Amino acid sequence: MKKTVLSLALMGCLAAPAVFANVAINGFASIKGGMTTGSDEFLYGYDDSFDLKNESLFALQVKSDLGEKLSVTGQLMGRGNKDFDVGFEWAFITYELSDNMRVNAGRLRTPFYKYSDFKDVAYAYDWLRVPQGVYGLGFDNIEGVSFYRTAQLGAFESTLQAVAGSYDGKAIVSGLEVDAEIKNILGVTWELAKGNLSGRVAYLTGKVTIDAESASLGQNVTIGGLFNTLNGFGLNNLVSAIDIQEEKGTFLGFGLTYDNSDWVAVTEITRVKVDNSFIAEQNNYYVSLGKRFNSFTPYVSYEVEDNDSRDDIFLPFQTVLPPQLFVPVQGLVRSQERSTKTWNLGARYDFHPSAAFKVQYSSEKNDTTGDRAGLIALGVDLVF
Amino acid sequence: MFKKMLFGLLLACSFSAAANIVVIVNPSNTSSVNAEELVRIYTGRSNAFSAVNLAESVPLRAQFDEKGVGRTSAQLKAHWSKLVFTGKGTPPAELASEEAVLEFVANNPQGIGYISADKVTSAVKVVHTIN
Repeated sequence: MKKTVLSLALMGCLAAPAVFANVAINGFASIKGGMTTGSDEFLYGYDDSFDLKNESLFALQVKSDLGEKLSVTGQLMGRGNKDFDVGFEWAFITYELSDNMRVNAGRLRTPFYKYSDFKDVAYAYDWLRVPQGVYGLGFDNIEGVSFYRTAQLGAFESTLQAVAGSYDGKAIVSGLEVDAEIKNILGVTWELAKGNLSGRVAYLTGKVTIDAESASLGQNVTIGGLFNTLNGFGLNNLVSAIDIQEEKGTFLGFGLTYDNSDWVAVTEITRVKVDNSFIAEQNNYYVSLGKRFNSFTPYVSYEVEDNDSRDDIFLPFQTVLPPQLFVPVQGLVRSQERSTKTWNLGARYDFHPSAAFKVQYSSEKNDTTGDRAGLIALGVDLVF
Repeated sequence: MFKKMLFGLLLACSFSAAANIVVIVNPSNTSSVNAEELVRIYTGRSNAFSAVNLAESVPLRAQFDEKGVGRTSAQLKAHWSKLVFTGKGTPPAELASEEAVLEFVANNPQGIGYISADKVTSAVKVVHTIN
């Protein structure tokens, strides 16, 4: 009997840490399917056969409060378009400097856009997906440190975030996945809210290196091969005007939101620039308007992408270069030209306390290629 | 007599249907809480208190979300998902009953919660009433 009590007591002691370690497990998931409206139409990874994998995802977040204002958070995510291979989307420690100041360090989301931080948590917004014309930058996550401060400034609620870090991963150049690196990322975002209105500004810079040399320009010509040939002709200046070696990249974004619980209006305008490279300056924006009818929220949005190719790179060489070199140089620079306009029409229906059904029709008109693509997608977003 | 009883019953029913929600703190807490501060506490903008919520299964929760915080439960859940999944906040702990909220606030100097007006005891202090 005494033994039993003792062993029970011991068990209690052993079990105690597990009981008191404050671990919160949350998760979110999206199951979405869609298809384009025509056999020669492609949009956001969909074609004209119904696909339930492309935008589906599943994530588990574990946050452990270690006490003394320190906590550690890991977010494991599997994306359908990556075969649901699970990896750490985020992993960071948080130290609360005070009630309204915290520092996160580790793998974090790059705070380019208003919805960057939770763009995968589609339950948190009304759209089926964030506007791709603006949110298509890639470089979602960085390894670094983020300082986050909320404050009351008179009648305004202020949220300030400063971030520093680096990115080392993949980027998409002319449809090919290539290695990309952004060093010395520094950024500030500031959001001010008063009543139904909130405004946001984001500015980030970094040193961008993209190894696009293996990307093909067609007919057995790679970007690297082209560079070699140009260097052979002594055109090192042209090569350095095109390639992306430690170039200064800047991101500037403005956002404005009006939400009076009935109507929700959102707009974001962004400008992306990478100096001394063939990457076009990207000027994109969207506007969105939704109306809540209890648990039903229809919305309409319009996106514009305007990427002007930097023809000033090759124009001075028009008479200098032989056509067999000029044409691929021009082709490479022009490949970044992109002008699209997209209409989205959709609705969110909160059919369950933790889940929302969404349907969205998107129609993208590409003025550069003359192509049009329609896409119908639907699915369920949930949090748990 | 019967009429009187019926009237009483009706009165009781109408009272319980329109029961006020009261926001309660620990009697030792001298801070005041107005409607704005309440919204800030329950949307994660203020950590001045240690707030607790009622579980979603308790009907009073939806009333409080709408009248106290000014949003539907779904909107609030969406709001908290933003904070939870970005490491920017943790929603108030959810307790299973009004009695549990009462007990938490009575025993926690920084505690804040809400219950229906008819459940208030002297163990807590009412700082705000939501009609």
